[in-house]
Amino acid sequence: MATEIVMPRLGWTMETGSIAEWLKKDGDSVKQGDIIFTVESDKAVNEIESFESGILRILPNSPAIGESVPIGTPLAYLVQPGEPAPFETGVPASATAAELVQLRPASTAIHANGHTIKSERVDQLHPTISPRARRIAGELGVDWQNVAGTGRTGRIVERDIRAAAEQIAVTTGSLRVSPVARRMAEDLKVDLGSLAAALPGQRIEKAHVEQAAAQVDSRRGVSAETRAPLSTIRRVIATRMAASLHTAAPVTLTTEVDATELVALRKQLKKDAAAIGLSVPSYNDLLAKLVAEMLIALPALNARLDGEEIVQSAAVNIGIAVNAERGLFVPVIRDVQTKSLRQIARESEVLIERARAGLLTTAEMSGGTFSISNLGMYAIDAFTPIINLPECAILGVGRIVPKQVVIDAEAEIVAIRQMLFLSLTFDHRVIDGAPAAQALQRLKQLVEHPLVGLL
Amino acid sequence: MRELTYIAAGREGLAEEMARDATIFVVGEGIGVRGGNFNTTQGLYELYGPLRLRDTPIVERGFVGMCCGAAMTGTRPIVDFMFVDFILDSIGEIFNQIAKIQYMSSGRLKMPIVLRGAIGIGGSAATHHSGSYFPMFVNIPGLRVVVPSNPYDVKGLLKTAIRSDDPVLFLEHKNLYNNKGQIPDEEYLIPFGAAAIAREGTQASVVAVGSMVRKTLEAADALAKQGISIEVIDPRTLAPLDIGTISESVHKTGRLLIVDETFAPCGIGAEIAAQVMVAGFDDLDAPIMRLNGLHTPTPYSPALEAAIVPTTQSITDAIQALLAE
Amino acid sequence: MSTQIDTTITIGKMEALALYRQMLMIRRCEEQLAKSYQAGMIPGACHTYVGEEAVATGICAHLTHRDAVFSTHRGHGHALAKGVTPRQLIAELYGRETGCSRGRGGSMHLFSPEVGMMGTSGIVGPCILQATGAGYSFKLLNTDQVGVAFFGDGAVNNGAFHEGINLATIWELPVIFVCENNMYATEIAFSYATRNTEVAERAASYKIPSVAVDGNDVLAVHAAAAEAVARARAGGGASFIECKTYRTRPHAEGMRDAGYRTADEIEAWKARDPLALLQSRLVGEGIANAGDFEPIDAEIKALVEDAAEFAKNSPFPDPTSVTNHIYSASQ
Repeated sequence: MATEIVMPRLGWTMETGSIAEWLKKDGDSVKQGDIIFTVESDKAVNEIESFESGILRILPNSPAIGESVPIGTPLAYLVQPGEPAPFETGVPASATAAELVQLRPASTAIHANGHTIKSERVDQLHPTISPRARRIAGELGVDWQNVAGTGRTGRIVERDIRAAAEQIAVTTGSLRVSPVARRMAEDLKVDLGSLAAALPGQRIEKAHVEQAAAQVDSRRGVSAETRAPLSTIRRVIATRMAASLHTAAPVTLTTEVDATELVALRKQLKKDAAAIGLSVPSYNDLLAKLVAEMLIALPALNARLDGEEIVQSAAVNIGIAVNAERGLFVPVIRDVQTKSLRQIARESEVLIERARAGLLTTAEMSGGTFSISNLGMYAIDAFTPIINLPECAILGVGRIVPKQVVIDAEAEIVAIRQMLFLSLTFDHRVIDGAPAAQALQRLKQLVEHPLVGLL
Repeated sequence: MRELTYIAAGREGLAEEMARDATIFVVGEGIGVRGGNFNTTQGLYELYGPLRLRDTPIVERGFVGMCCGAAMTGTRPIVDFMFVDFILDSIGEIFNQIAKIQYMSSGRLKMPIVLRGAIGIGGSAATHHSGSYFPMFVNIPGLRVVVPSNPYDVKGLLKTAIRSDDPVLFLEHKNLYNNKGQIPDEEYLIPFGAAAIAREGTQASVVAVGSMVRKTLEAADALAKQGISIEVIDPRTLAPLDIGTISESVHKTGRLLIVDETFAPCGIGAEIAAQVMVAGFDDLDAPIMRLNGLHTPTPYSPALEAAIVPTTQSITDAIQALLAE
Repeated sequence: MSTQIDTTITIGKMEALALYRQMLMIRRCEEQLAKSYQAGMIPGACHTYVGEEAVATGICAHLTHRDAVFSTHRGHGHALAKGVTPRQLIAELYGRETGCSRGRGGSMHLFSPEVGMMGTSGIVGPCILQATGAGYSFKLLNTDQVGVAFFGDGAVNNGAFHEGINLATIWELPVIFVCENNMYATEIAFSYATRNTEVAERAASYKIPSVAVDGNDVLAVHAAAAEAVARARAGGGASFIECKTYRTRPHAEGMRDAGYRTADEIEAWKARDPLALLQSRLVGEGIANAGDFEPIDAEIKALVEDAAEFAKNSPFPDPTSVTNHIYSASQ
């Protein structure tokens, strides 16, 4: 009988973990006590030993190295020699993960401060009254608004109500309410006392109560919101974005670029590359190469702040922001300065694919020196991207859109050109505005005459 | 009917129960041949010998933990702490073990143990021999807390405590030890959770705990001469607490004062006030008030000691302030 | 201080195989629980007894359900050896109504007074005092029952150790104190926590009969317990047994097992596995052969698998019962 191996729970609070390394391969023979794999939890890397002996069969769809999955997620099986693995026979995996869900019922909401403290000031125009006196006033039908209190602070107390009741010998109660209105007020939880205060001298009718009830409803309002816990990825993104904004001193420069030549070039590449079955470079690939060219020329931007030192990198490693279903990922294309456009296209294609499938490893997402974020496909013109720390700059790319542009003002020549906004956010702690502006200017020139940069 | 002191009445209750049930034994420092520092066991060693009147070394945690194990295995221990301040050395055994064993064993184990000792400020006993601590015990699920105020109650409640299968803190104020009262010749028991109305009245309710009952009755007597009618309630047991009797009284009078020698913060007065607020908010004609001993360690000098405990005069003043609300 | 334990095998084949069976039941239950923990079936802590099986087994072999055992946070083995079933144990760790504590306790609060398992505890020390109290009851009631406390080296520097042993000694109570000296209190080495790591010697200073034995040798533990239990039942008072042993899994499941002790040390103790030691001894001395163990292995495997299945299929306790039994019905 096959034994399931799942993402183990390694501590009271552990909810997810990721495989750091498989120490046994699919098909390896495993003895009880052997270390099969290591798990990276929030605390450390742990060695996981086998409880049984058998042949290790790793699930074809087992989580990738570094991918965080919930505890209980099936990873592999131990089978006996000759025995097929369950995933080969179509036998469903055990319900371990489902049982886990059952075991952890929705946690009871505990409010640290369950009390709402009213800070409204006491309305000095209204007399105060003890709860008991108010109750008795109701019982005796005394309108206590006009009773003088004899309590220590002028509070109306029981004896005041009883005295008032004797004096005025009220027989029917102070509220004049129609029977229908009284019943309706009870059903709709409308306070007749305050309604009476708002309608001095009037008999309260059904319509008054309806109106008051409607007001209460509208004040209460209708709230429709849903709550969902942060996913691990969302939490990481949230932390990093906030950290970037709290740490860096971001300034964004924006310039409009004539991308007509770039568009023409891409069109040509698309035709030619596709014809011979090569990867077609995307605008991001083209821009990555041009940015690398710019960074080689102006290396001050290819730098990071490390404590008291500024570290300039010889290699240009460009991160490309990828929107995947689970959130934002930034895989890194390494040594862009030494790679051909074709190499870059091929690599980025693979990385984007892996990002969308959630298969990126930590290594594939680290070591960047500059990032590019492109929102052109969403018809965004320009925006202020957030620096991907510890890098010191990021390029925001808008949409390419045909516009009527003045070519020669004196000759009054206008033309339709493919225009593009580039936004450069840089960390003013690392570099000043003028050199950053020079960098963007240099990039503008490269985009407008791309062949120069791609040679 | 006979007149007995508080201490003699308690001792009579203990003696009756020890004669009735051979599984009862008492442990404590000097409770054997010596008969107890406060004469709580006087004469019993001669009757029952060292196995049932067990003098201990000074190891509160040790003998309390031991009595926990004994109560789980068929006997009914009574721990006589002398001064209840000494109980603090064994608090883990009480809170973590004794109070929880019945629950953790789903009622398959019982915990018939009585933890008794002298509480209260008086006689320049100073800060290590003057504590009361009962709010702390009331806070813990699984414990019963009894604070008898007179000789009649101490006997009837001690017999109930000894027969209870729950752990009972039995806290006797040392200033009451020589007070006398009438004790019936026939056997009687007083149930837990039944407050006593020590004096009937109509204008305000005063809940008084332990040694404060007598002082409050004196204050009520003084006020009666001015035509003021005060109801005095002695809860007798704080866990369980007879909130019903207190609420009924407040329904009648509309005003409530709680007089307690122990500290006010998170004390029994706070608890009673909170419960009455919910059960009888519309009965209240004035804010609920408390009169407590000062929130301070207990000083030695008589001049200082007298300054921290409620007196008949301060209780009278508090009642008058309550009536003026 | 300590008397020499004669380790000649004096028990018969059936008795020896019963010891093997009991140790194996503990081992397999613990392995199942470790597995269940990783699978997320155990919502709280889980302290296993792997490597120390010989102690509970050797001591409890001399006890009946009328004797009272008080134990520690590492108490699964004591509960099983005292008669709690694997089903009741595993269901308790799963938080189920069918657990020995009805799902109220988990790993650290195992109660089964029906078989004299008077509770394990999440606090270090109280079990020593409570076993002393059981001894007090038995003496007062004039029965031949005994109270037994199991505790680790972590309890030895605690006041409860000194207070309990002293009281049991001066009053000659029928109590057996069993120290499982596994060299670490959580991750604190005993050699750090005291200048005198000889526990039996420290106990002996209270003038209690005290002995130190190889806690991985079930026959040695069994022999020492035989003498102590007989003394207690005969009215001879309390005894102390130090069992030098080792847990080969981490303090609690999910905790690290490195940094405070070396892999070599763990391996050396694994090589002295109490089950393997007994097996080779019995085979070596011609008392049993390999074939004698196979049916036991199969029986225990099936027993533990059944227990895990039973636990998994058992209901959770009814939340409306959560405040039951805080007080007795007496008042």
